[in-house]
Amino acid sequence: MPEMIITKNLDVPGIDKLDVYRQNGGYEALAKALREYQPDDIIELIKTSGLRGRGGAGFPTGMKWSFLAKNDKPRYLCCNADESEPGTCKDRVLMEQIPHRLVEGVIITSYACKVHTAFIYVRGELAKAGREVERAVDEAYAAGLLGKNILGSDFSLDVIVHRGAGAYICGEESALMESLEGRRGYPRLKPPFPAVVGLYGGPTVINNCETLATVPAIIAGGGDWYASFGTEKSKGTRIFCLSGQVKKPGNYELPLGVPLSTLIYDEQYGGGILDDRKLKAIIPGGSSTFILSPDKVDTPLDYESIAAAGSMLGSGGVIVISDATCIVGAILRMTEFYRDESCGKCTPCREGTFWMTEILERLEHGHGHLKDVDLLMDICDNLAGKSFCPLGDAATSSITSGIRQFREEFEYHARYGCCMVSSNEKKQQQPTTASEPVGTH
Amino acid sequence: MISEQAKQRMRELASRYPMARSAVMPSLHIAQQEEGYITPEGLRAVAEAINLTVADVESVATFYTMYYQKPQGKKIINVCTSISCYLRNCDSLVSHLEKRLGIKRGETTADGNYTLNTVECIASCSSAPALQVNGEFYENLTQESADALIDQLDRELGVEKRV
Amino acid sequence: MSEEKKEELVHLTIDGMPVEVPPGTLVWAAAKQAGIEIPIYCYHEKMPPLGACRMCFVEIEKMPKPPQTSCTTPVAEGMVVHTKTEKVLKARKGTLEFLLLNHPLDCPICDKAGECDLQDFTLRHGPGNTRFDLHKRHYEKPIPVSNDVMLDRERCILCQRCTRFSSEISMDNGLVMISRGYKMEVGTAPGEAFDSVFSGNTTEICPVGALTASTYRFKARPWELKHTASVCNNCSVGCNARVDTRVDRVVRLMSRNNDAVDDGWLCNRGRWEFDYVNSPQRLRTPLIRRNGQLTRASWDEALTHIATRLKEIKNQHGAQAIAGIGSTRTTNEEAYLFQKLLRQVLGSNNVDHHHGAFPGVRDQLTGKPWMMTNSIVDIERASHIVLIASDPYQRQPILNLRMKKALSKGAQIYIVNSAETELDRLATLKLQVPSGSEGMAVKVMLKQLLQNASAELPAAEDVRTHIQREEQAIRAAEDTFGAQMTTRLQSLADALLTAKGAVILYDEMATLTTGNQDLAADAQALAVLTGNINKPGAGVGPLFEDANSLGARDMGLLPDAFPGYQAIDKAGLAYDEILGNAQVKALLVMGANPARHIADGKLPGSLEFVVVQELLLTETAQQADVVLPALSFAEKDGSMTNVDHHVQAIRRALRPLPGAKADWEILVALAQYLGETWTYASPRDILLEIAEQNPFYAGLTWEDLGKQGVRSLEEQEAARV
Repeated sequence: MPEMIITKNLDVPGIDKLDVYRQNGGYEALAKALREYQPDDIIELIKTSGLRGRGGAGFPTGMKWSFLAKNDKPRYLCCNADESEPGTCKDRVLMEQIPHRLVEGVIITSYACKVHTAFIYVRGELAKAGREVERAVDEAYAAGLLGKNILGSDFSLDVIVHRGAGAYICGEESALMESLEGRRGYPRLKPPFPAVVGLYGGPTVINNCETLATVPAIIAGGGDWYASFGTEKSKGTRIFCLSGQVKKPGNYELPLGVPLSTLIYDEQYGGGILDDRKLKAIIPGGSSTFILSPDKVDTPLDYESIAAAGSMLGSGGVIVISDATCIVGAILRMTEFYRDESCGKCTPCREGTFWMTEILERLEHGHGHLKDVDLLMDICDNLAGKSFCPLGDAATSSITSGIRQFREEFEYHARYGCCMVSSNEKKQQQPTTASEPVGTH
Repeated sequence: MISEQAKQRMRELASRYPMARSAVMPSLHIAQQEEGYITPEGLRAVAEAINLTVADVESVATFYTMYYQKPQGKKIINVCTSISCYLRNCDSLVSHLEKRLGIKRGETTADGNYTLNTVECIASCSSAPALQVNGEFYENLTQESADALIDQLDRELGVEKRV
Repeated sequence: MSEEKKEELVHLTIDGMPVEVPPGTLVWAAAKQAGIEIPIYCYHEKMPPLGACRMCFVEIEKMPKPPQTSCTTPVAEGMVVHTKTEKVLKARKGTLEFLLLNHPLDCPICDKAGECDLQDFTLRHGPGNTRFDLHKRHYEKPIPVSNDVMLDRERCILCQRCTRFSSEISMDNGLVMISRGYKMEVGTAPGEAFDSVFSGNTTEICPVGALTASTYRFKARPWELKHTASVCNNCSVGCNARVDTRVDRVVRLMSRNNDAVDDGWLCNRGRWEFDYVNSPQRLRTPLIRRNGQLTRASWDEALTHIATRLKEIKNQHGAQAIAGIGSTRTTNEEAYLFQKLLRQVLGSNNVDHHHGAFPGVRDQLTGKPWMMTNSIVDIERASHIVLIASDPYQRQPILNLRMKKALSKGAQIYIVNSAETELDRLATLKLQVPSGSEGMAVKVMLKQLLQNASAELPAAEDVRTHIQREEQAIRAAEDTFGAQMTTRLQSLADALLTAKGAVILYDEMATLTTGNQDLAADAQALAVLTGNINKPGAGVGPLFEDANSLGARDMGLLPDAFPGYQAIDKAGLAYDEILGNAQVKALLVMGANPARHIADGKLPGSLEFVVVQELLLTETAQQADVVLPALSFAEKDGSMTNVDHHVQAIRRALRPLPGAKADWEILVALAQYLGETWTYASPRDILLEIAEQNPFYAGLTWEDLGKQGVRSLEEQEAARV
């Protein structure tokens, strides 16, 4: 098992409490940062480490911090802990089990970015995570790790834990800021970018929960040490959330660049496909990313390789689909998500996701037409790149890549009014497994 | 009824943020805690505490799905039906719960004990299928463990025996 | 009118055409300037870009991920824009198809049909058919969002123009978006209406038939309407309006954007309160009192009777027994002729109209006649807005929007009033004082300035004498206000001294409240002492009541001034005196209702002969001896002068009501019957004469007024010479 960085000590009993966290080296990175580094040095250190955003876009973190506008407006840090991407469940674990690692990351980052008010926007549905983070913040205040003159330094910081209330779109950074300001979570026009005009009009840095939780380890171990993990361009480790039809789904921390096949098949990780079925498709970075075919299973899990294979590393949510599953049903389910989560601000996303869901629904239930398949592709074309924010693009990823790879399944639905997968199952008279295969009707 | 104490907490929140308006979401959470869902009175209380119009608060409240627009049961069961849970058979879990509780998704039992909702991804992908009861997670569910859960909830609610 | 500093223009190419625009211009606006239509729904020129409807796509060379939205992209030097590429056309078609998915096909009965952007853009840019063969979303057909505005959610394309108007322009947040995604809809708070005096604007900016005016619904097809560029007649702001008429009725007023006056908005009063024009009660023949009853008569009979009686009274009691009360809602030309008839034909200076209490014809301190020294646009540029005993939301509504615009640019609003006002909740400070003590509040501020100012204040000595005389009253007022409020008034006075620009406004009619008689002069002194006069974003003055209140003053409907505020040796009787002096035997009333200003509503019994020119049988007309039927603003031409001295043209939109005459025509005829030959063939002839005599109108011609009017000032004219 490779060295663990973000999930290190995750299973130590009581690590969610400040004293245990400290006994295991917690907040030493903070002390070191305040003692040994000027804010700008930390930004350089993070640049050296090669840390990239773990939320989805993978933007270099140090670079993001250095873009903060220099003006006399108050600066803010927002921790994006609004994790809602289907297939992604890593930030929840960090917050529930080792919330101080996040709080420490928030304090160090605020120091580096000269921020004096930070917000942790925790997804509303994650009640326990919210409670844990709030408690950790309270403990930190009580221990002088937050508030005025942290650890006797000149640095002061206030942290406010803000809970969401059910809106995927608030994971988009500008929508998150709107939401924090007490508005409907509509994405904002860019430019201006948050680093220039962000929360309350001040320069704002927004980082994902896992990204910030990685910062203390980099301070402790050094930028070069962190950069020694992973690949040339995708450095370090990250948590992959393995879900779907594998034997051992779970959150696994791996250095970037490990092949998908290792994650899916290695006994330490996924342990192979559920019920020893055949691998049918992989969604490598949450439901917003393009579906990969089984022949891409040896692709290394790093930003560049996954992009070259035709998808995105995204949020690290690796969703495995076996041949027991009808792709039409699965794509319908993902499209419904985007229909329900579209904020409604822009026309193509609001109406397009509605229309595509209706069409997929009738295909799935056997009332579709052959022409629906091309129609879906054309609606995707009218939506992708035309919507206000990337949610519209995301809604089309599974449909376009799904139709490209599994067109015959869609056409089968249209032609015969039933599902190709379940028909095949019947033909082969396979014994039914304990759990009824998904996609049968 | 929104208690005076709750209103006071809303006003305090308004002064905690750099801009009072930011307190609208936490205040709505408080209003919902008080009344179980967002009522016109809840909207008014939040509007008054933060100095917004009621329409403005309603606009925010209806954007976020966790602010319930109608009364909910004592136990709110939210079953995840997004892709990772779908691939682990959440649909049959939902059907099973529908049968067991005698209601369809989105409905509340006549005795007001249970509301059964289906919700989008709740970050339980690696432990699918999963659901939440009043915000607490129950994961890796089977029909048997779901039944056991309902039995336990029944006991908590003091429900004698379901016919 | 560009007072902005000259900036370098940005050069770009749109569809091969070179275009030059100021920096910051949006590509959409640059294209518009080049005559290229780019369809839009969410974008509105008076609101910040939203980028939501995704209609205004263009392709910009060297920019990532085409197509781009032109309403959110500012121009850049050397930019090359294409508005008709294959990508752009497909994207626009795509968006239109999306918008039409759930849009009902009830165009045949939709009020908007014929002036609907969804229809028009679909015709020009859209797909000819739809591929949507599923069920459209359905909602209950129109639901009222207020008594005036109906909402049809099926037709709504969710562009959010209306809700953004409510949040960003009228700042009332009464109309909002509810729910999200495909379930999103426009709505109000539960059980509450979108009650705003500005709500009608949403029916105008709605690009489809989702928001319609309850008074206009099913009344007309847009293509049956005749549009006339005119000016609203309902208050002193003088909003530019398009009067829409069908057959012989006004059906609605629509905004006709004038940046300097209305900024593109109309209030509901302006938009919909024109019942008096269409009223079946309109007077259609002259009436003469015979045996105590008003009975129909011919114009010749009526005019002959008037001439005879006036001559009799003049012979018997002298010219000073005749008086005239003019109108604040008739044109400048009519006001001018009215005083001319009284003064030159009948020989009496007893001319006045209902107005506020202003000491003398001009303010002593500045020598300026009583009117705002600032323009309406200055309000938007001010850093401080001080509203004393005035409530623009109720009385000059569109100025309220201008103040909110100032607010969004960082201005602070201070309110001294005895009542609650709509603007209170947005004000930095609201001081609620007893009615009639608003004037004393100003004196408290003046006292503070004179006591504490270290620097030499302009005109301080003149004001000091006056304030010292009032010392006792001021101290009493400070006691009434209490320590806290007094301190706040004092700090406000100090703040005005250092303000970048303060605009100090009071309601003309508030000066009539006992206790406020010095308000006009003291407000003026406050502005002078604090240096808030004669600079941009600063000024002081009265908010007038009616569409031509200021014009009436300009035209000499005052007992102590000839047109243009030229002094009169022997002043005539003022308004209250005319109504209270038993020496007055004959009274001519043009477009006024003085009976309303008399406690028991009865004109004095000492009046032997009363003539009233009116549209309807008002309280005053009912007591007249002769009533002459007049025409409304919608049926005649003429000029009006608004609150910041914009002289603007109203134009005939309707065929004049048969039997009635414009007031100026009545006056010309009356002069004729009195033996004087006036040769005015039209209001423009009268305007020429005004322009010759009145320094505020010097050189002004009917043609000059054009569609947007002219802000004519005495000083400007002096500078021009």
